[in-house]
Amino acid sequence: MLTHDINLFPSRRDEKWKYSDLRSSLKHLSDGIEDENKPNFLLPDGLILEEVDCEFSSVKNISSALAENYCNKAWKINVPESFKSDQSLIISNLNSGHSRIIININTGGCLSLVEYYESQSNSFINTNIIINIMDKGELDRVIFHDDTQETVRISSAIINSESNTKITQNAISFGSALSRIETLLTASGENLNATINGAYLLSENRHCDMTSNIELLKPNCHIRQLVKGVVKDKSNGVFQGKFHVHRPAQHTDAEMRHDALMLSDRSKIRSKPELEIYADDVACAHGNTIGQLDEDVLFYLRQRSIPRAEAEAMLTEAFVSDVFYSLKDDQLQENILTKIRGRL
Amino acid sequence: MLKINNLSANVDNGNKQIINNLSLAVPAGEVHAIMGPNGAGKSTLSYVLTGKPGYEVTSGDVLLSGESLLDFSPEERAAKGIFLSFQYPIEIPGVPTMTFLKTALNAQRRANGLDEMGAPEFLKKSRALATELKIKPEMLKRPLNVGFSGGEKKRMEIFQMMMLEPNFILMDETDSGLDVDALRVVAEGVNKLRDPKRGILIITHYQRLLDYIVPDKVHVLSAGRIAASGDAEFAKKLEVEGYDAYA
Repeated sequence: MLTHDINLFPSRRDEKWKYSDLRSSLKHLSDGIEDENKPNFLLPDGLILEEVDCEFSSVKNISSALAENYCNKAWKINVPESFKSDQSLIISNLNSGHSRIIININTGGCLSLVEYYESQSNSFINTNIIINIMDKGELDRVIFHDDTQETVRISSAIINSESNTKITQNAISFGSALSRIETLLTASGENLNATINGAYLLSENRHCDMTSNIELLKPNCHIRQLVKGVVKDKSNGVFQGKFHVHRPAQHTDAEMRHDALMLSDRSKIRSKPELEIYADDVACAHGNTIGQLDEDVLFYLRQRSIPRAEAEAMLTEAFVSDVFYSLKDDQLQENILTKIRGRL
Repeated sequence: MLKINNLSANVDNGNKQIINNLSLAVPAGEVHAIMGPNGAGKSTLSYVLTGKPGYEVTSGDVLLSGESLLDFSPEERAAKGIFLSFQYPIEIPGVPTMTFLKTALNAQRRANGLDEMGAPEFLKKSRALATELKIKPEMLKRPLNVGFSGGEKKRMEIFQMMMLEPNFILMDETDSGLDVDALRVVAEGVNKLRDPKRGILIITHYQRLLDYIVPDKVHVLSAGRIAASGDAEFAKKLEVEGYDAYA
């Protein structure tokens, strides 16, 4: 059982938190550490919200340990068999303290999930989401993260998928004092088709960590991951991605990319792409680039009268935005692109 | 219109002087051509005139309509009306051609104290010019120059030129990579822009383009300065005799 002892939080010494020192950021901020949070849910017609006991989950990490320690209740949504809806499940007001959310997508059910992390309170917030996707289930998940600069935020999704499932995830983060968007996906069935994309666009002293771990246990899974990052001022971007291809997971086709732009000398990007492969008939790749805007391209735009700052914004927007071109919801896509434009 | 007085320029961090005491005047209403061998400083001249970072002017001056350009940024020079048609137009993924062009046009207008052009007027103007240059409407929706052929890219440069209506046009090796049909379309576009108020300077390796855009004067650039000048016939002589005599 955890108590509010700051030394129990992971720090730079823990490999998984090496680039996001949770312990030291919580030294300056203790609001929310012992609170239970009640999110707002906007449910599609046909779904109901249940309040259940917060039980121990099989995946152990700091997010689930904290939720299990401080939450009496968990919020559970059951997506029935073959469920389909034009409406999204919207979760918001994740404002202070811990919450556990459990989503079960039953056979053939499709869920569109949008999470808004927009805290106005300078506090610690931990959202622990457990998602189980049964056979032929589909999840389309969008995460929108725009907290105050003082917020410390962890969002950890623990996803388990059975056979023939489809997952599309797109996350945009503008960072906070420390933020980590974590996706821990276990493909325990065959034929998962997953796209796990994200982008971070950071300024001032903001920090964003996009961490994902994908465990592939069965054959024929297809994974695409594209994360793009832009850091300005003194901001910090972190990307950690891992594909763990177990011995039975033959014919895995998995690609991971992280591309980042550093727009100031004082900003930092730390990237750790990892492949751990035990199956012998797979196609797995990872790519990682960190660079600056191309001066020749900037000159071309300036030669057409476009001022340097505007040209930089235009190129940065183009760089980040392509992550979101495949979003199905046009309105949401436009909102994200507008927000990106506003931050350049 | 454009006056270059005793201009000398280096590439930054390089000791080599690439433009060497060069003087040239292109009056309004005239088309001049600069020809010369590889490494003569032709592209460098176009970059120095337009203010590309990485080039350092060590002496001399460049005046556009009597005003020195050298203290201005590339975007300020562009807004004052100097337009460079690039030898290798840049591909910009993620930026649709129309968005780019509208941003450029309105930046130019803002810099000159004009109101921005509204969407309907912009669309009308761009559609009409695109048709004239045989540019398909789909191309304008695609990211700028991405996946365009060499000819399409050059046509897109002429399209931008016609949209932005510059006072002075610099064309850097516009004919490279063009087949005869594309060359003709490009030349027709440029000829339409010939105007008593506008100067044009064409930088080229070969005489071929000058069959379609007949220049008022032809200059040989060699070792960073103007080594000889003549009329349109002079270009034909150069094509036959080569540049050795001017080295």
